[in-house]
Amino acid sequence: MSEQAILTPSLNENEILRVENLSMHFGGLKAVEKLSFSINEHEIFGLIGPNGAGKTTVFNCITQFYKPSEGRVLFLTKQGLTENLVGQKVHNIIRKGLVRTFQNVELVSELSLLDNVLVGGHIDFKSSGFSQALRLPKARKEEKAMREKAERVLNFMGIDHMKDALAGGQPYGVRKKVEMARTLMCEPKLIILDEPAAGLNDVETQQLAETIREVRDTYNCTILLVEHDMRLVMGICDRICAISFGKFLACDTPERIQRNSLVQEAYLGEKEG
Amino acid sequence: MKQDSIITKITKNTYLRFVLFGLIISMIPVLTGGGILKTSWLGIIGGTIIYTIAALGLNLLLGYSGLISLGTAGFMGLGAYISAYVTGNLGLPWEVGILAAVIIPVIFGILIGLASLRMEGLYLGIVTLCVAEVLRKTFDELEPLTGGFSGKSAEYPTLLGIFKLNQGTTFVLLCVVLVLMMILTYHLANGQLGRALNAMRGSNVAAQAMGVSLLKYRLIAFALATGYASLAGALYAHFVKFVYPSTWNLPLSLVILAIVVIGGLRSIYGTFIGALIVYALPDLVLKRIPIIGDINGLSYVFSGVLIILVVLFYPGGCVKVFSDVKLLLQKLFKRKVKKNV
Repeated sequence: MSEQAILTPSLNENEILRVENLSMHFGGLKAVEKLSFSINEHEIFGLIGPNGAGKTTVFNCITQFYKPSEGRVLFLTKQGLTENLVGQKVHNIIRKGLVRTFQNVELVSELSLLDNVLVGGHIDFKSSGFSQALRLPKARKEEKAMREKAERVLNFMGIDHMKDALAGGQPYGVRKKVEMARTLMCEPKLIILDEPAAGLNDVETQQLAETIREVRDTYNCTILLVEHDMRLVMGICDRICAISFGKFLACDTPERIQRNSLVQEAYLGEKEG
Repeated sequence: MKQDSIITKITKNTYLRFVLFGLIISMIPVLTGGGILKTSWLGIIGGTIIYTIAALGLNLLLGYSGLISLGTAGFMGLGAYISAYVTGNLGLPWEVGILAAVIIPVIFGILIGLASLRMEGLYLGIVTLCVAEVLRKTFDELEPLTGGFSGKSAEYPTLLGIFKLNQGTTFVLLCVVLVLMMILTYHLANGQLGRALNAMRGSNVAAQAMGVSLLKYRLIAFALATGYASLAGALYAHFVKFVYPSTWNLPLSLVILAIVVIGGLRSIYGTFIGALIVYALPDLVLKRIPIIGDINGLSYVFSGVLIILVVLFYPGGCVKVFSDVKLLLQKLFKRKVKKNV
């Protein structure tokens, strides 16, 4: 699969991810139908649509949790290659520099915040299982370095003072921060956020907008997010792609998306008369 | 003052703590030799150590990756028979026996790991149970290798072909192996592997998104659990000096499971405490009680009731008792200090 992808690199300049003719069918249900859009490097890109529009399905197709029925997902990897992600193993996607969060925060409750963040560094451990089992000096050094890195990331998210607390008892806002910190451990090129503002109050949502921008600028990455909170989306996104019933409606700047008649129709229903 | 600082140094350092723990339990042969403890203690605590090693493996599997196995006994038996055969029939050194007794079952374990990708929970329990039953039946029937119903005998180990051990020194060997396995478990559980297994238990999806290959880590988890179990079995063969097919039945697997649950999931010392409670306590205490002590299968009733109590009221396992008591004492102490002031 990857060979074919290398043979046909067709990302335009500045583009980091391009979804081409993506379709996902569950039996007879067409959850996503011939969807295409592309994201530029260093952009905050929003994917919006009414409930059941297929946004999360698109995410799952990009990250290979679903195998798309049709189409390509081209990605400019950390290694500098343009690859088609379709058909690659789920657990290899993060190695390309693409990492995601989940709609219902998925942390390990019994681990400390620090350990949860360290899970995000899983792929960066270089020492062998043997040397880790015996804690040879190399493995020890590596573990220490990763711990320090995780602490820096937690510090960046402003929650390093509670690094040893268990994730289980934490409020939702903190858990969301930990999940984002976890994505930063692997120094990603593209972070996919699945409803980052769900369950947050107004103040927290404002802080989140700040954090997302800071993450992009500090870690020099691109962000793709699905979100229902329109104020957040319109406030921070550079461009937005709107979909409805799995089909492409429009892709434009927030202002233009708001005025787009197709989008208004999808959200508010057809004009009468 | 100086002594104090050395003691705190030892109790703060994880490795020294493991070694200290090993030293303390390896004192038992001295105590039984001196007549302070009954000689039966040696066998009972030795059994506890063997069960602890098997349970440490199951704890890695159940506690960390959240996968269940009811086949522990089968793999312990496999390890015991292989080691007895290699040292007895083939006349090879003890070390080779142990090595063979770990490697062959691990291959079986990896095969079960492959099957585990397709099933979860109860179904995995049933499959592992079936594998163990097939193994047990094989021990019965494969007479040329296992001695069938009449069992198979083994000798105390001879280390490096020079040092012939007796019961007491074999017990010390068990202690050494236990401490090594505890340290190994500590390393595995608190590093990349432990976190990957934890992530898998928390959520398969999230683990995959973080780059954890489910196939690889499930295989590793099963390989480790069977490796620990078969090592325990091989040690059993050379400590008890006799391997009998009906030992490796479902109740034994359940006892190992009970040890993990009662002692405390994901706790290394908890596993030993669990083994003490489930295995040693009935033999040392319960059977001494008049009338009640004569009931057949009392130890199973005891551990069954304990499992229910622990799951309902003390999910952290009995190892939590220590930290809870410490907290309680601190509270009481603080109150007293306040009153005095």
